[in-house]
Amino acid sequence: MLAQQLLNGVVVGSVYGLFALGFTLLFGVNHIMNMAHGAVFMWGAFAGLFAVTMFDLPFAAALVIGAVAGGLLSVVLDWVAFRPLRKRNAPEFSAIVSSIGANLILLSLAQQMTATRVMRFPFDTFPIRFYEILGVRVQLLQLVIMAVVILTVVGLVWYLQRTNAGRQIRAVAYSEGTSRLLGINPFSINFQVFFLSGALAGVAGVLIGLVFNSVHFMMGEPLLLRAFVVIILGGLGSIPGALIAGLLIGIVQVLTVSYLSAGMADVVVFSLLFLVLLARPTGLFGSASGGAARVARQ
Amino acid sequence: MSFFAGYGPLAELALLNMVLAFSQYIVLRAGVFSLGSAAFAAVGAYAAAILATRYGVPPALCMVIALVAGGFFGAIVAVPLARLRGVFQALATLALVQIVLSLALNWTSLTDGALGINSIPKAVHITEAAIAVVVVAYFLHVIGMSGIGRGFDIIREDETVAVSLGYDVRKHHMIAFVLSGAIAGLGGAMHAFSSYSITPNEFGFHMVVMLLAMVVLGGRVSIFGPIVGALILTGLPELLRGFQDYRSIMQGALLMLSITFLPRGIVDTVLGRLRHRSLSRGASAKDRDGVTI
Amino acid sequence: MSMLTLHEVGRDFGGLPAVDSLSMAAEAGKITGLIGPNGAGKTTVVNMIAGLLKLSRGRVELDGQDVSTMEAQHLSHMGVSRTFQNIRLIKEASVLENVLAGFHRHETTSTLSSLLGLPSAFRERRALLRRSMDLLERFDMADLADWPAASLSYGHQRRIEMMRALATEPRLLLLDEPVAGMNDAEAYSLAEIFRDVAAQGVAILLIEHNMRFVRRLCDHVCVLASGRLISQGAAETVVNDPRVIEAYLGS
Repeated sequence: MLAQQLLNGVVVGSVYGLFALGFTLLFGVNHIMNMAHGAVFMWGAFAGLFAVTMFDLPFAAALVIGAVAGGLLSVVLDWVAFRPLRKRNAPEFSAIVSSIGANLILLSLAQQMTATRVMRFPFDTFPIRFYEILGVRVQLLQLVIMAVVILTVVGLVWYLQRTNAGRQIRAVAYSEGTSRLLGINPFSINFQVFFLSGALAGVAGVLIGLVFNSVHFMMGEPLLLRAFVVIILGGLGSIPGALIAGLLIGIVQVLTVSYLSAGMADVVVFSLLFLVLLARPTGLFGSASGGAARVARQ
Repeated sequence: MSFFAGYGPLAELALLNMVLAFSQYIVLRAGVFSLGSAAFAAVGAYAAAILATRYGVPPALCMVIALVAGGFFGAIVAVPLARLRGVFQALATLALVQIVLSLALNWTSLTDGALGINSIPKAVHITEAAIAVVVVAYFLHVIGMSGIGRGFDIIREDETVAVSLGYDVRKHHMIAFVLSGAIAGLGGAMHAFSSYSITPNEFGFHMVVMLLAMVVLGGRVSIFGPIVGALILTGLPELLRGFQDYRSIMQGALLMLSITFLPRGIVDTVLGRLRHRSLSRGASAKDRDGVTI
Repeated sequence: MSMLTLHEVGRDFGGLPAVDSLSMAAEAGKITGLIGPNGAGKTTVVNMIAGLLKLSRGRVELDGQDVSTMEAQHLSHMGVSRTFQNIRLIKEASVLENVLAGFHRHETTSTLSSLLGLPSAFRERRALLRRSMDLLERFDMADLADWPAASLSYGHQRRIEMMRALATEPRLLLLDEPVAGMNDAEAYSLAEIFRDVAAQGVAILLIEHNMRFVRRLCDHVCVLASGRLISQGAAETVVNDPRVIEAYLGS
């Protein structure tokens, strides 16, 4: 029973990690807190759903389409919501407010498009098959989800560590001023980072839509709220931190639902965030200078 | 009079929104990026509604208790929150909103869960709401003029300068949280006594966005900022009555446009222009040496 | 005893010393100059004294008391005040409000009376406004009291910072390039004010690039190069020290 719950927690948690990864990537490179990341996730899920329902495309194609849609939407978001602020050297507060506005617009559009209905993937989108592994019932979908998450993360890390473009992104994250002096084009970096971030959200959207077999306009909000907990536990901007904390939150949530009550899951998860902040203002794996008070000697 | 009869409920709503907007205003003025006003409002609203419906406590006393409860809750959460800054503070306060929301939904023995609390006596009308706005605005004005207000301003602008001048940033952030909690507690209770019933979902993300939008649009320094912001954002849906579906889109677009093109908000921008104009007029008569415009 | 004493103070950034084994002092009633080429570590020294940076080595004493680990807020209450090299004001607030913020150390109204708007809070505000106006007159800026700080010229903004620093009534005043970007006439009118302040018993530590200004104003000059003290003494002696000439020409 416990092993079964742990497995479920790991599966959900790995998708949380994927979602939080895009969020933390944007923060790590551009210092932007994208409050519309949940809306990108939701639109990615819709794109994947339409690919299946309207064009009869297979599951794999839905994932790709969800990723591309999320990526493109995220880039548009940058142009509309963030770039005008960057040009004006606005403080981080402005970016949060602007993306809250963008989030509202994206949610409202989805609400009208679907008339507030919950949409579902067709029954045959993914074969329902179970395996017994070490006494635990594992669904084929769960295995595929974990494989997709692992492949995506490996792909992302490879891109950031091994390709020229990835090295430029990391240079910008390290020091934007210096990287500009080195001739790195900030326009292309922003495009890539926003696209990657949105694509991760889009993939996570399709996966979550399949796991719970429901796609609706509010599906991004709980994920965004959980992503906050994930990135504070994992440390803003840290990729391994986001993954570890994502798994942790997924497990905590599933265990709370099965041993306490479904309603208490949020209370437990968010109280955890509070406790961590109380003990370590920069998060469990955060660097020393994250969000803590700047009033002490440095 | 018929005009007021038709718009009475709307005016009452606008006034109640002003009280809540003041709660958001005071933290932003102090450079505290709290989005927790909705949580404080929920505490005040539920405290008042439960006391009034189950224990028959008179509404006026309920509102005082709600104010104290909101302030007390603000003080407790300020202990961890005043240590954080910027983005972390925003996220932690959003989590706080979520915790309170979940408790209101799931602690059914106390809150009646998703059904909310009904048949709350109607004790707040337009007059009570107007009195509350005036009283809160007066106190915020007084605080703004005092040493504490100066501390808020300088901490918001530059924390390093503030500590170099001996300001206790933590103490000021704590004060801002307590004030924000107390004002929202009162605002939440008044909302409960105005609308007959309350449900948990009224105090969720939607309220967070609405209050933030009011203060961003109106302005974060002058006390008239949240007043104007609440007026516009309460009245706007009425003007757009034929476009119900586009209300959220308008609100979102307004938020994006105002933070980009009017980052100081309507009131602070207008006041700044007026002051500059009157000063320039005075200066052109005299010596303008050293004044670069 | 000196008002400010630094004993073998050092600070590393990323393993490299920005300031190393620096020992120097600033006397009450005197203006001590701290000069050196760009990147010599002058502002790092100020930030360590003012409580914004940790010391890697050594100690700082104020009037004989070790204040090496004291935070900026408490140092301010001990009588340490400063200006910033890159001007840092409340941009939209008026000149008067900016100066008023400097009086925080002398506020006596309790938090509660401020929150409740008791008469004592208003009385104090009026008294502090008067003292702010006195400062403005001393700096010849009374006419500009109501102007937003950001709308004024560079020189005026530097003056506002100085008034704000003086409003705290410091025992030790740290001036980080106070006349940068000013013409000679403006600079020398400020020099008069610095002399007056020092004459009242305040220890001034002046960081400056402008050699002529330092020669005319400072009683004692310390020269920093690459984080180390390379020379100190009377202004005339120091300027002719071959090590100092080399440090300046070499940079």
